[in-house]
Amino acid sequence: MTLADARARAPRLAVAQADPDADERLMLRLAAFCEQFTPLVALDPPCGLMLDATGCAHLFGGEAMMRTCILQAMARLSFTGRAAVAGTPEAARALARFGADGVTPPGEDEIFTRPLSIAALEAPRETSVALTRAGLTTLGDLADRSSAALTARFGAETMRRLTRILGREDARITPLRPLPECMVERRFAEPFLDLSAIENVLRPLIAEAMGLLEKRGQGGRAFEARFFRTDGAVAALNFETGAPSRNVEALLRLFRLKAESLADPLDPGFGFDVIRFCVLCAETLAQGQIGFERQGAQESDVADLVDRLAARFGRERVLRFAAHETHDPVRAASYVYAASPSSKLNSWERPEPGEPPLRPLFLFDPPHPIETMAQTPDGPPMHFKWRRVRHMIARAEGPERIAPEWWRNAIGRDRRTRDYYRLEDRDGRRFWVFREGLYESETAAPRWFLHGLFA
Amino acid sequence: MSAPFAELVAATNFSFLRGASHPSDMALTALLLGHSGIGVADRNSVAGVVRAYAALKELREKLRDPPAGDDAALLAQLGAKRIDSFKLVVGARLVFADETPDIVAHPQNRDGWGRLTRLLTTGNLRAKKGECRLYVDDLAQAARDLLLIVMPSRNLTRLPSTLARLNDLAQGDVWLGATMPRRGDDRRRLARLKDIAAPTQTPLLATNDALYADPGQRDLQDVMTCIREGVTLTRAGRRLEVNAERHVKTPEEMTRLFADAPEAIEETQCFLARVDFSLDQLTYEYPDEPVPPGRNPQEWLEELTYRHAAMRYPDGVPKKVEKLLREELALIKTLDYARYFLTIHDIVRIAEDKGILCQGRGSAANSAVCYVLGVTCVDPAENDLLFARFISQERKEPPDIDVDFEHERREEIIQHIYEKYGRARAGLVATVISYRPRSAIREVGKVFGLTEDVTAALAGVQWGSWGSDIPQAYIRQTGLDPENPVIRRAIHFAQRLLGFPRHLSQHVGGFVLARGRLDELTPIANAAMPERTFIEWDKDDIDALGLMKVDVLALGMLTCIRKCFDYLRAHEGMDMGLADVPADDKATYDMLCRGDSIGVFQVESRAQMNMLPRLKPREFYDLVIQVAIVRPGPIQGNMVHPYLRRRSGSEPVIYPSPAPEHGPPDELRKVLEKTKGVPLFQEQAMKLAMVAAKFSDVEANRLRRAMATFRNLGTIHQFEALMVERMAARGYDRGFAQSCFEQIKGFGSYGFPESHAASFAKLVYISSWIKCHHPAIFACALLNSQPMGFYAPAQIVRDAREHGVDVRPVDVNFSEWDNRLERAADGILALRLGFRQADGVHESEGKRIGQARTKPYDSVEDLARRAALNAATMRALADADAFRSLRSDRRDALWAVRRLPDAKPLPLFAAADARELAKEQDPLLPPMSLGEHVAADYQTLRLSLKAHPMAVLRPIFARERIKACAEVSALTDGAFARGAGVVLVRQRPGQGNAIFVTLEDETGVLNIVIWARLFERYRRETMASRLMLVEGRVQKSPENVVHLMAQRIIDRSGDLNRLSEGHRPEIVLSRADEFIHPQHPRGGHPRNVRILPKSRDFH
Repeated sequence: MTLADARARAPRLAVAQADPDADERLMLRLAAFCEQFTPLVALDPPCGLMLDATGCAHLFGGEAMMRTCILQAMARLSFTGRAAVAGTPEAARALARFGADGVTPPGEDEIFTRPLSIAALEAPRETSVALTRAGLTTLGDLADRSSAALTARFGAETMRRLTRILGREDARITPLRPLPECMVERRFAEPFLDLSAIENVLRPLIAEAMGLLEKRGQGGRAFEARFFRTDGAVAALNFETGAPSRNVEALLRLFRLKAESLADPLDPGFGFDVIRFCVLCAETLAQGQIGFERQGAQESDVADLVDRLAARFGRERVLRFAAHETHDPVRAASYVYAASPSSKLNSWERPEPGEPPLRPLFLFDPPHPIETMAQTPDGPPMHFKWRRVRHMIARAEGPERIAPEWWRNAIGRDRRTRDYYRLEDRDGRRFWVFREGLYESETAAPRWFLHGLFA
Repeated sequence: MSAPFAELVAATNFSFLRGASHPSDMALTALLLGHSGIGVADRNSVAGVVRAYAALKELREKLRDPPAGDDAALLAQLGAKRIDSFKLVVGARLVFADETPDIVAHPQNRDGWGRLTRLLTTGNLRAKKGECRLYVDDLAQAARDLLLIVMPSRNLTRLPSTLARLNDLAQGDVWLGATMPRRGDDRRRLARLKDIAAPTQTPLLATNDALYADPGQRDLQDVMTCIREGVTLTRAGRRLEVNAERHVKTPEEMTRLFADAPEAIEETQCFLARVDFSLDQLTYEYPDEPVPPGRNPQEWLEELTYRHAAMRYPDGVPKKVEKLLREELALIKTLDYARYFLTIHDIVRIAEDKGILCQGRGSAANSAVCYVLGVTCVDPAENDLLFARFISQERKEPPDIDVDFEHERREEIIQHIYEKYGRARAGLVATVISYRPRSAIREVGKVFGLTEDVTAALAGVQWGSWGSDIPQAYIRQTGLDPENPVIRRAIHFAQRLLGFPRHLSQHVGGFVLARGRLDELTPIANAAMPERTFIEWDKDDIDALGLMKVDVLALGMLTCIRKCFDYLRAHEGMDMGLADVPADDKATYDMLCRGDSIGVFQVESRAQMNMLPRLKPREFYDLVIQVAIVRPGPIQGNMVHPYLRRRSGSEPVIYPSPAPEHGPPDELRKVLEKTKGVPLFQEQAMKLAMVAAKFSDVEANRLRRAMATFRNLGTIHQFEALMVERMAARGYDRGFAQSCFEQIKGFGSYGFPESHAASFAKLVYISSWIKCHHPAIFACALLNSQPMGFYAPAQIVRDAREHGVDVRPVDVNFSEWDNRLERAADGILALRLGFRQADGVHESEGKRIGQARTKPYDSVEDLARRAALNAATMRALADADAFRSLRSDRRDALWAVRRLPDAKPLPLFAAADARELAKEQDPLLPPMSLGEHVAADYQTLRLSLKAHPMAVLRPIFARERIKACAEVSALTDGAFARGAGVVLVRQRPGQGNAIFVTLEDETGVLNIVIWARLFERYRRETMASRLMLVEGRVQKSPENVVHLMAQRIIDRSGDLNRLSEGHRPEIVLSRADEFIHPQHPRGGHPRNVRILPKSRDFH
């Protein structure tokens, strides 16, 4: 159905643009959340998650309990889900999407999937129409027929899906993230809220993980602490060492540094359900131990300086000037975060080669009112008084007429056109002044301002 | 008093998305401000100049014949002398693809104009549609007779070399344009320009490089810049103009600004004096190809006319016709139009040679010469023609003949014209595509950062008439807040943008032909379609300049009739042409009186079908009225019912008359006698204005033009008070006067002149006659000419079967690509559906099946091999159930076909592979039910010969006591009924007070009326139903026209799924459905618009 078609039926229809990227981001967040149930989680587009429960189910008291547990967790996040547990990923997907969701006892996939409509094959439209035309409506109808005859007509891919849904052929999922070298976690009966005590939780976890590594004769290079919040958000803190390490206190210190430098600090919200510590990369631990922090590299680059200042004072406190695409001198420059990528910034307007700059670098904000004497309608001032000093004008150029950005005003409220002049007084001082309002067409008595000084 | 000045660099809105004023506004503003002339120059185009020219011309006309009102004051203020001496200079701003600064080129004389248009043509033909690629070397070839103003860019470094080069080319014809744009360094820059110009002694020329007429247009220009650059206002930044200075300034202001260089102001007058060119000089000469060498065109035309007249009237030319011919030929001689008639005759003759049917339409049907030359089909012996409607000495407009050709073969004619006259001498006329509410709000909305869904919602709102605000309630209806400043602003600017040209496109078929080079008259550009070129002027421009135009149009019905004639010849041994169809056939008129007109030209729509039993056409002129009456003009003017009442004798025929002191009481009798005192035709409305409201010729002419351009400019309202007041003053009833004017307004958009209605009525009669006497042939031709007309194949087939035609299914052993006719055992023609009706069968594949069928195919493999069909086609054929002659129904055939390998085998292995498929055991598929077959038929063929879907569902509906359509129609007036059927058409005509829905089941059709208020309640059901259940009261007219007045609507589309699990039959709505196929009142030739009353699309 087209949007126009839908509107014809319901004119007041609210419309939102589909945002597949946002959907995918949401699914990735949910996938991260689900890693608390099993580390093997994969996206099952467009709106499914595939969890490999092998070896995890007993932690929750069996598959049925695990399924309930996951659905309840989803419900807490205000998601309604359908979940099915089956012998193959395809069978589980088919049951969750097209059948009675629930738990299929081991080895009974085919019994449960046979009654499903052939839609469960999710075959291309052409194929599913052809299957219907042939009078084959359920997976069972297909299962009973010679697979050679079906393959010849509907393709090998359709048949492969069929055998997998029926559980006749096993398949694995590709998890989103590789399994860590080593993983330890702590689950809390009551959500963990006390950030100050976080190191007390982490220290034994790290120590446990180091113990595991030690047994293998390895040290970790890359580490991750994951915090699963009750509301579904997952915070991850990664840090690395220059060389393999098993030093618990040193790792804790790195963690602390990292945590302090976070742009948005670790927020427990309503508490953490699970805290997990993973060693992502481990190597054979070399003899002796070298300092963790790298020794001072040359940091001549401004970008480096910006990074360091930003790390210390906060990103939002380090600024730089950026050109703004506008004719309006007041708005022509603005501050941006120094850390923002310079590729996104506009270039500054440059005068033609050989031409003097028309605008000064220094501007008064707000402009200073001045008293002038000037010719109507648009002559430059002959002299003006600023800060009680009278300046006699020796040279003048202008006007540069800058019309207001009308679309910024509310309708009916007009701002005025400005005529800018570059002035030089008898002492060689240079000024940038403007008259607000076009004489007669906009105002009877225009006011004058000093807006800037040329160096 | 300041020095005289003229703005010579004025862009108009034909510098698309740059200029922000209409050409006429630019010219008139300059005139008002006291300029001594204006130079119009758009970017690489002269598309706008004629409009400036026409505006000034009209002003001068008004000067001679001053109208009342505001205009008069304006004219007095300007004074005749100023208007007369104001000089319009036309040229173009050349924008180069290399680094050269822009150069404004104004032709000095007629030769210069030709050079300029050829230069632009060169640039146009080099680029794709809408672009022009020029290089400075091109100018070097064409610089003679052109006055050049160099417009320096911000950066002046390359300027000296450009000036030097141009001065080498055209010493004395080069100026340097100087502007004072208020950029801060104006005076310094002016001094530099002086320095740069000095070595070559190039004079400085003062200009303001104007983009709009009034500084108030700056904001609109900003919005247009954003549209052009595809940015929002907030991000546009320095791409916008810095201030509002680029308007047409007064001479006083310009003199003050150029105080440092007064010579630059004076120079504008020198420049003006050098120009000796005006668009008047574009005299136009008709091609003389059709005149044999050594013959005088007029003599040749007379000779041809009399020769053909003798052939047309084998029993001798009637006196009346002879007199007409003499008079017409005399006028043609006076106006020197003989070549024009000969050219048209030539084109028609070529069509005849190629066996392409054609018929002239429009006002040309008023000419007896056109009739005897075979251009039109309306016999002057039997009809009263008004040649003056076609050509008149007073109007001084070139004749304009529209000729329809078979739609499938029109391209042959177009290519022939190009071939015969050459691309340098023939070109299609342009159509100026203007901003309409939808396009305007969409683009403006983007500029203000509104999201697509908001602008789409706004675009869907019914916009008021020109310039008036959209009622806030409408906006609220879409769920938007009309008080929201951004939305208000977007609407404000969209309204200002309305009517601005957006781009040029080719006209549907209007040709301009010339004796000399056309590209020396106007630039020629590439069209989007390959092999097409078009000129930059549209038909109004052509009219204003007095150029000749031939409209080569396409008409589907002519294709259909041609095919009918072919089949008649092949199967019935009848050799017929348009003129040979027996006239006054009673059976044909009987059929039409029953409203039995599906597929017939023009009168097949629902409104026409309802009108037929009321009007009861019994003779040809009745058809002329029938065609003209169901049109927005008569409907808006409330003329339909009075006419019907008078025709049936239930109301006396009276002619409104003026008060006795103002004129004879029967002054309107002559105008309105034919139509029983009710104005139905366009020219009657015009005549009314002249006779009853005493419009002068000039006023009437203006009114006529306002009518023609009503949709574009909305100028017709100026005449409302004039006409109504004058009629009232002369003692006419004010209500009558008002309804006359309403009708004129309606005609403005879609009116039929009598001659045009007569041409169409001819085709109505011919198609009705064929349908009546040869239904199988008619249905076959209609199906083979699709897409055309109102109805989908399902309805055409159904209608044919109801008329006793045996329609046979698609079958690999009997069908061809086209539908064809078979002689049944009883000698009657039967219709065999062709592969073109089946989805997924490609034309080349489908044709191969017939070609390779030297003996019948005996198996699926045999067909695949001999006709070399690919797997997709085989599947589509099986899906269409086309294997019945091989004893396979759809399911078995599909099972067999899907087994064939996907790709074609290599030729070497083809034979070996043939029998390789091993025997399989019987798959024991379940049999396919009738419902499933019907659903599958609809999916693949969009129709089913096996049963109507409703027939399959009948038991379900019967249990619910829902009546079949025929049963409902048989009920008495006022009875309550529940009826259901599949939805064929939904229409919301005219004012939109009612929605008409047509339902169909196995017993017939049922017409539903849903009042607008009820519609709002049942909108979802109305719009979404494929199968609709309606409860309501039966309304029956004395002529037995039945409507079911809906009270409740229920969407029963879900029941269609009951036909079969998994197949959902796709019921195709008729092509006339306004909701699926919105009929926009724009586009195409206004007279071409098929749908009757003005439709409203209210998505």
